[in-house]
Amino acid sequence: MRVGILDCAIGGNIYSIKKAIDKIGYETQIVKSTSGVDKLIIPGVGSYPEGADAIIPFKDELQEFVTTNMIMGICLGMQLLCQKGFEFYPHEGLGLVDGECVKINSDKPLPHLGWNNVELIRDSKLLKGLENEKFYFMHSYEVVNYTGCTALTTYEKHKFVSIIENGNIFGVQFHPEKSGEAGLKLFKNFLSL
Amino acid sequence: MRIIARLDVKPPNVVKPIHFDGLKKVGKPQDLAKKYYEDGADEIVYIDIVSSLYRRDILFDLAKDVSKDIFTPFAVGGGVRTIEHTQKLIHNGADKVILNTNAIIDPSIIKGIVSVFGSQAVTIHIQAKKWDSWYECYTDCGRNRSDKHVIEWAKEVEDFGAGEIILSVIDNDGRQRGFDLELSNKLIESVNIPVVIGSGAGSLDDILEVAKLNPSGIAIASLLHYNVLTIEEIKQHLINNGFHVHI
Repeated sequence: MRVGILDCAIGGNIYSIKKAIDKIGYETQIVKSTSGVDKLIIPGVGSYPEGADAIIPFKDELQEFVTTNMIMGICLGMQLLCQKGFEFYPHEGLGLVDGECVKINSDKPLPHLGWNNVELIRDSKLLKGLENEKFYFMHSYEVVNYTGCTALTTYEKHKFVSIIENGNIFGVQFHPEKSGEAGLKLFKNFLSL
Repeated sequence: MRIIARLDVKPPNVVKPIHFDGLKKVGKPQDLAKKYYEDGADEIVYIDIVSSLYRRDILFDLAKDVSKDIFTPFAVGGGVRTIEHTQKLIHNGADKVILNTNAIIDPSIIKGIVSVFGSQAVTIHIQAKKWDSWYECYTDCGRNRSDKHVIEWAKEVEDFGAGEIILSVIDNDGRQRGFDLELSNKLIESVNIPVVIGSGAGSLDDILEVAKLNPSGIAIASLLHYNVLTIEEIKQHLINNGFHVHI
């Protein structure tokens, strides 16, 4: 299987994701298109406008790709799957997920940095065998309005969407590539689907 | 609460300065980063302590190499001053950049990097020097004065969009005689972004004292480099005293 890591934005921690997936024994490629790719990962790290401007040119290609193949967005990569983001100013997203990306509604310090549990709302393929593990979060924005979310996480009493699984579309708000062994296993779960 | 291992790097070695001076080599950054990751560090902080001073770019290949075996957040600083530097680091294993000298010279760089990479990608390193009635920010690895008040500067960088502050205190750094609790507390109270406290961990009790201030993280160097304590022992002690840490 060929795992593609989409390199389109000026941000994007592509090497961090590549070395994590290499570590679990899959062949990865840093790609600028979906051609020849079996599963695609959309990296995070970046502001919404920068990420959206970079990924919008791929909108049609990605919509086509997910009819037959799986994608996973990480952090900003998951937020970009939404219809819209509101970091700095409103910006169009990929529209693959029925949701919007807004600033976390909390009076506690932001960004939210650190390890948290994920609380399953329904069965999760990504989290299989990892239900009690913690994952690393680094974000100030969250996905809202997504009615079919798979898991929530609580930051200082505020609950936000931490996993989305809908057909071929997967998204995680945390960083599996930065979540130690648990994160590596989550990649393994995704890639063995 | 995060327990963060801090590597002060004078390529190709990790060194441990005392009061930011008098360097002692303690190992290779690749080896120590891997060791602290395997021991359960929640984050690795890598600071090239001479790049600002020598006015050279950070050594990108070395930072990439250090990130190779660690699967936990990796913050990199030392001479970072442009969006291009940040991009190169984030594409190559880093999750965020740490700025001090270049942010003081030109604070607009904070805004610039945040607009492209987001707040979570920018950590400001404050190197504080205590005077009779105030604390001053120092640049160039504790060598040069800036005339900036620590707390005022902290609020300024928060306004510019920085996502985190890591505090070092020149008089306490490397001495292993406890943190500057007064300044730490004031800093944590003054801003609404995560604050990591460093400089001074000498014992489990020192760490417990600073943990009571509820910082977002505690940065530890000497204790780990000299094998006085392991991350696991530190975390276990915090857990035994009712703190939430990840193991």
